[in-house]
Amino acid sequence: MTAHTAAPHLAAPGVRIRDLTVVYKTPAGELPAVRGVDLTLAPGTITGVVGESGSGKSTLALSLLNAVQPPGRIAAGSVEIDGLGDVVTLRGEDLRRARGRQVGYVFQAAQNSLNPLKTIGKQLLDLGRSHDVEDLRALVRDAKELLARMGMDGARVLDSYQHELSGGMRQRVGIMLALVLNAKVVVLDEPTTALDMITQATILRIIREVHEERALTTLVITHDVGAVAEVADSLAVMYGGRVVEHGPVTEVLGDARHPYTQGLIRAIPRLTGDLSLARALPGRPPTLGTLPAQGCVFRERCDRRMEVCETDEPMSVNRDGRTVACHATDRHLTLVKRKEFV
Amino acid sequence: MITGTGITKIFKQRGGVLGAREVPALRGVDFAIAKGGAVSFIGESGSGKTTLGRIIAGLETHDAGEIVIDGVPMSTLSHRARQPYFRRVQLIHQDPYSALNPTRTIHQTLEAPLRLRAKQTGRPRSWVDGRAAELLAMVGIDPGYVLPRYPHQLSGGMRQRVVIARALTMDPEVLVADEAVSMIDVSLRLGILALLKDLRERLDVGVLFITHDIATARYIGDDGELYVLYRGQVVERGATEKIIADPVHPYTQSLLSAIPVLHGLERPGAERVVPREMQREGLPDGGCLFARRCPFSTERCESEMPVLGRDGDTDQEHACFHPRRRSVIPVGVGE
Repeated sequence: MTAHTAAPHLAAPGVRIRDLTVVYKTPAGELPAVRGVDLTLAPGTITGVVGESGSGKSTLALSLLNAVQPPGRIAAGSVEIDGLGDVVTLRGEDLRRARGRQVGYVFQAAQNSLNPLKTIGKQLLDLGRSHDVEDLRALVRDAKELLARMGMDGARVLDSYQHELSGGMRQRVGIMLALVLNAKVVVLDEPTTALDMITQATILRIIREVHEERALTTLVITHDVGAVAEVADSLAVMYGGRVVEHGPVTEVLGDARHPYTQGLIRAIPRLTGDLSLARALPGRPPTLGTLPAQGCVFRERCDRRMEVCETDEPMSVNRDGRTVACHATDRHLTLVKRKEFV
Repeated sequence: MITGTGITKIFKQRGGVLGAREVPALRGVDFAIAKGGAVSFIGESGSGKTTLGRIIAGLETHDAGEIVIDGVPMSTLSHRARQPYFRRVQLIHQDPYSALNPTRTIHQTLEAPLRLRAKQTGRPRSWVDGRAAELLAMVGIDPGYVLPRYPHQLSGGMRQRVVIARALTMDPEVLVADEAVSMIDVSLRLGILALLKDLRERLDVGVLFITHDIATARYIGDDGELYVLYRGQVVERGATEKIIADPVHPYTQSLLSAIPVLHGLERPGAERVVPREMQREGLPDGGCLFARRCPFSTERCESEMPVLGRDGDTDQEHACFHPRRRSVIPVGVGE
């Protein structure tokens, strides 16, 4: 570890996303995929972001690397990471160095994000060289340790091509590549999608253990409430580019306050419980083009819709460490006015 | 009624220093799918569940065993003569994004098979358009909106409903749904599952549901039957509700234990089972196929292969020398 040029932070860094808006250029003008999002990742915790297709969750994750690709761009807001500053203002070399070294990213379908023409070891060395790691032997040693930690034969994996590894193994290789440069903030985008149940359980356990051992601040992005419930400390629920509810995972699941969260939980196929109580949410998730220009983004599918929902965007209400943005839930509390999107 | 006995399939892998290697995908599987019934195959990748589904749909050949459709053994028929039988089994693909031709409107997509159907059943051409609208209404979408549109203009949930409507054009006896909801948004999954259940009741069509997520199997009907497959062998079989509540095979228990617990709503089961090692190639074929990964295996398991049966006073059939009930599934906090 001493070989690495930048000293790793000893404590887990905190991440503060403030009023983040990301827009995509479309024939209909610039439309917000993420709009006015405030989210704090407490140091040393795992935050789960759950959302359906088009909720903006992957765009939010990419913002942590300032890696939103055109036609998208970060239009407003900041992403402050301890020891790194505001990622949104980073450019060029500084940005490239931060990626991998401070913020590790395990991409969606990490199973398919490896180079099929190079062995894992070669890709590891490429990663090291591009980040000016002087002692590549130490890097390989660290990689082997990490792989062994995740229950794999490091030397064998490094000599393998991606097609020689199973989906669960590739996922662990992705995690290794995200951590080997000692990143302290780790973003995992859909880490268990397309994996079998038992493999998923194993990967989730590994994420939790490695997170604790290395004192990381972790963000897990997924459509699967179950996967997040198993691994995260706090849960943020996204819908139509907004964080509609955020709080400790047991509280959000045990006592959901936003009608979308409640509907989502009711819609999860479960092993126990009354089959007749489970039902799908009516309607379908919005896309960039079908997002309402004003009012609540969820109102069309909401069973507690009121008149005010048509016209006014609900504000984020914060109480006891829980945030909910809904007109229908408790309204007698301190209101934090959302900035209108321009 | 579709039944299979002793269905066996061997995949031959070419190459390698030692020449061809044979990988058994199915090792003598028996099954029966009744008209209007619900059968679920569950298992991890490599369990053979998809291969079996494709064999039942007539898309794959098998190496041994017999498939009987409506009392006619398929082995007695020529390849050509089998086609009308296998047309009664329609496959619903996992990915509604690639299952529809992107250059055809939904009207065109449904028109082609319906014309064929009209010809087969001696109906006039004018029947086709009305039937297309009727089928779309049956799967819960507005024909006026959907018919003139291309697949890319529809959401994933709508596309999957179109795929189901297309499968229904052939008046099938059985729908084979292979991971039919795994690519659908969570808030819409129950809608598709409820549709399959509804079609069973309204059209008396059987549903063969193939999945790795046991929980979804409950929602196609509480009268369903569950087959747990592991490495090409059925290791546990019985009523879906029964097996979920009271699994006896350690592999089934491992699968159920792996389902995430919704902390806050549920507590983990007290006796969750975790396999000793992960699924990999090259696990031994002698003895019980799960022995090497099973936390409860004994010497007997290493050398002798258990067969599916009711040994040990259980309601369901299982293939285990040491069946034992264990509470592995999450318990509701309120219960």
